[in-house]
Amino acid sequence: MATMKDIISSPLLLALVAGGLLYIAGFSLVYLKKAYTRCIELGISKEDLKKVIKSSLVFSIVPSLSIVVGLFALIAVMGVVWSWWRLSVIGSLSYETMISSSVASAIGYANSAEMLEMASGRDFGVVMILMSVGMLSGFLVLIPFGRKLSKSVDKSDTGNTWKHVLSGTFMLCLFAVYIPVLIFGDTVQMLVMLTGLVIAVGLGVLAKKPGLRWLNEFIMAFSMIGGMVSSLLWVKLFS
Amino acid sequence: MSKNNTKPVHTMDPFQEWCHKWGRVGTVIALVYMIAIPFVVLTYYDCVPSLGQVINLSTISILLIYIPVGFSEALSYTPILGCSAYLTFITGNIMNLKLPCAANAMKLAEKEPNTPEGEAISSVAVASCSIMTILILALAALFSTWIMPVFELPQVKTASEYLIPALFGSLTLGLFASTNSGTKVVKNGIMGVLPVLIIVSILALAVRLLGGGSLFGAVGFLILFMLPVAIISSRIMWKKGIIKVVDKETGKE
Repeated sequence: MATMKDIISSPLLLALVAGGLLYIAGFSLVYLKKAYTRCIELGISKEDLKKVIKSSLVFSIVPSLSIVVGLFALIAVMGVVWSWWRLSVIGSLSYETMISSSVASAIGYANSAEMLEMASGRDFGVVMILMSVGMLSGFLVLIPFGRKLSKSVDKSDTGNTWKHVLSGTFMLCLFAVYIPVLIFGDTVQMLVMLTGLVIAVGLGVLAKKPGLRWLNEFIMAFSMIGGMVSSLLWVKLFS
Repeated sequence: MSKNNTKPVHTMDPFQEWCHKWGRVGTVIALVYMIAIPFVVLTYYDCVPSLGQVINLSTISILLIYIPVGFSEALSYTPILGCSAYLTFITGNIMNLKLPCAANAMKLAEKEPNTPEGEAISSVAVASCSIMTILILALAALFSTWIMPVFELPQVKTASEYLIPALFGSLTLGLFASTNSGTKVVKNGIMGVLPVLIIVSILALAVRLLGGGSLFGAVGFLILFMLPVAIISSRIMWKKGIIKVVDKETGKE
């Protein structure tokens, strides 16, 4: 009978993961090409598109590096290939790491080291299936109702002013939930958020100066990095 | 107060149409593949677990983390992302990466969400971001033995834990701009989520004062319950004329 170690280092798993990632990368490229072409048709200049792509790539680096930190935490529990797959598709850094800490006890082991050493292939199969099927709930909404949900807030329907209100409500609701949780839940989280905000405002003011307009493309990336780096100071002072 | 609710016939933008058709097909293919991977590997090694081994009292805790979060993310993020939602959901890491990236792109190009231009721009951003992340993670997995020590430095780990608060700091600046919708401006939109703000503040304070720490891990559940509150209260305030949609130039409804 195969063990967990056999499964996580299986060449078959690696080949399937590599194939899946190639498909997802191809899917992203097709989406990019279609969206880019449509942007040009809609009158958005190539210059603006270049700016957006450059800013998106730069902006993606730091959160991706945070995901790499999560990847290494997950690798210790589930090996390289499966962790790589989970964090490259569907998975979310926060929930995957949360699950990595509870998965060993869920299948009857004291900790992840014991699981890695003693778990059978079937035990790890339970983990793989749970992780693959669990996150499908979102798709049960997105696939049948994605079009309807998008149309419910489509502002092209200019005669309906409620859609303008509803469209903003979703984003405002996210903020209305996150901000009090961050402010009242943890002092360091609050200070990191405020630092990010202060840096964003400061950069916004600077970017108004003629020679510093380029800063506009990087306000979010820089303020996010500044906020994260400031956590080292706030943790020292308040934790 | 009269609300202009006549329904003009309008067709969907061709790109949006493409996404809702082929984006959906591409997503279904990816999903089938994702579910098939464990079964193919486990069948090869002859260790497919029984249904009872997969779903029982111990494993249900894992499903209880995933299932409500999935519903919450789909219901709250799809209306913001529009037709870029398919690619966003399939590549994951939405709140900590894709959604802020899309918001940043729309702000930069001065386009509004839920318009053909806004959705095309956010799709460009999400696709670029997805490719970048796939590349970074592939390099990290490939060179994990060499680079792991750097990512295990306590400073790097600490800074990474605070990604979401830092993101919210930088996103807040664009919050008010998000209620501007092309030629129209939503006035007092924030009033609609005031009940949510009050309820979550009280809950967060109560949990902290009672020694329970932070509600950060329960945000997915909170959004699921607070979204209907926000929509109903915004609707009531819009009906009562507290939230108004006015013309950007003239300031009139």
